[in-house]
Amino acid sequence: MARMEVESEVAGSVWKLVARPGTSLEAGDPILILESMKMEIPVEAPVAGRLLELCVAEEDPVEEGQVVAILDR
Amino acid sequence: MSWQEEADEIRRRREHALAQGGPEGISRQHDQGRWTVRERVEHVLDPGSFREFGRATATAEYGPGGELTGYAPANYVLGFGMVDGRRVVVGGEDFTLKGGSPNAAGLRKSVYAEHLAVQHRLPLIRLLEGGGGSVRGSGRPGGTVGEPVHTEPRFRIIAEALGQIPVVSAALGAVAGFPAGRLVASHFSVMVKGRSQVMAGGPALVERALGRPVTKEELGGHAVHIRSGVVDNLAQDEEDALLQMRRFLSYFPASVWQLPPRQDFDDPVDRCEDALLDAVPRNRRQPFDMRGIMRLVVDSGSFFELARGYGRDQIAALARLAGQPVMLLGNDCKFYAGAMSAAGAQKVRRYIELADTFHLPIVNFVDEPGFMIGPKAESEGTIRYGMAAVSAAATASVPWASVQVHKTFGVAGAAHYGPDAYLLLWPSAESGALPVEGGVAVAYRKELAAAEDPDALRAQLENDLRAGRSPFPRAESFAAHEIIDPRETRPFLCEWVEWIQGRLAILPGPVRFSFRP
Repeated sequence: MARMEVESEVAGSVWKLVARPGTSLEAGDPILILESMKMEIPVEAPVAGRLLELCVAEEDPVEEGQVVAILDR
Repeated sequence: MSWQEEADEIRRRREHALAQGGPEGISRQHDQGRWTVRERVEHVLDPGSFREFGRATATAEYGPGGELTGYAPANYVLGFGMVDGRRVVVGGEDFTLKGGSPNAAGLRKSVYAEHLAVQHRLPLIRLLEGGGGSVRGSGRPGGTVGEPVHTEPRFRIIAEALGQIPVVSAALGAVAGFPAGRLVASHFSVMVKGRSQVMAGGPALVERALGRPVTKEELGGHAVHIRSGVVDNLAQDEEDALLQMRRFLSYFPASVWQLPPRQDFDDPVDRCEDALLDAVPRNRRQPFDMRGIMRLVVDSGSFFELARGYGRDQIAALARLAGQPVMLLGNDCKFYAGAMSAAGAQKVRRYIELADTFHLPIVNFVDEPGFMIGPKAESEGTIRYGMAAVSAAATASVPWASVQVHKTFGVAGAAHYGPDAYLLLWPSAESGALPVEGGVAVAYRKELAAAEDPDALRAQLENDLRAGRSPFPRAESFAAHEIIDPRETRPFLCEWVEWIQGRLAILPGPVRFSFRP
């Protein structure tokens, strides 16, 4: 078991939370969707694992490089 | 009397040269998971093709009777070899001797590498590991100091090489100072994950100057330089780095006096991929995979991306179309909608100029919403770097094809169309001065402020304007050469490749600008 921080690659705001904590995810599964530059940009699980925690709520602003979720890989 | 004694001495010295830094130096290198420079040379070249230059170069010590008492080979290995049957020059520091920091004989050979490659109009491969100069020995009293005033600047040939021959460099360990400078004075650079660090000055210098302890990896590891743009590509290990250098060279001529080598290909030129028809979502808010589109269009297996971690709003890759090497450019809408950032603009300019220098046609897959905006973008000087990219496109000499996949807005859009560009529109193409959403907010500010239902008015205005931006009227007005079914993209581009052969034939020779690091 290893905690892994998932960072947002872009700045924007949280448009929609997709995965719930506790869900098992495959690499590439969307965790949440950001709105950035008027586009819907998914933040995806970089590796397979269980979603431990979402660090943001819908409509929260997000900076580039901000940790938005924690995975248990 | 024969010369047998001297012949034996020549043989002994050659054996010394091959012994490098001796078993200890070699095993130290291997223990760190690294190849020696001679192993690297063997791996980057076609097997058995290395022909060494200056094997007798060494630092020798002689006793009072003139007998040899010490012999250290030059710690720079240099020579000719073949890559995929094409001749190149290759050189690299021997880290088993004096930590790669140049000894006197090694320095003479290393600064000759560029001369050798330029003289023979051959690509240069640099295998870099080691530090720059040392203060040891520089403070001796007496004798002459400094270079004579009439000395040719050492860096001139390094600069001139970039305008004449392909130069590829790999950082295969820590490189600092001059070797780091040589790494970036290249058309392609690669570093090895976790094994290479690139620094102007290492941790000891930093701590002394800035009072801050820092590791080599923190200073100049891949996490820093794949983002900074100092290094183009990341390799998983040394072998991967050397293969990437070979692959890069396969798209390039030996020098600017030749054309890129067209290869045999077996991918049908009339291949139409159904996946292209729905590659761009009708919902404009949803991003799509531009790299996937590019891969479906070019010759199968020929897509080789450059600088993926830098200027991520823009995509640059080498590829082939009907066997013809081309430079691919495009936007990645997953990264700030593909809006051109300061870094993205520098990337676009660099690769337009690279293609121009070596006569590679440019194929641009356009989805450009404009220059990146906002306080960060302004403070980074986006508009200046952006205009440099636009200027590079506007003055390009190579044949250029633009496939307008989706958006082309603003001044930044002009960085994606060279002179006399062959212009193909997809049905999803949309262009104008500003994207509809932002444009409505600016142009109809008063009307929106006075409206009873501003949201309804905004939606109506946006819909009306969007309808006027359909690509069909542009095709009717001959504002593009063709509007095409996206599936037809490969056949159209492969045919274009045949048309441009006459234009390419007259391009060999240096371009009017200097390619700079």
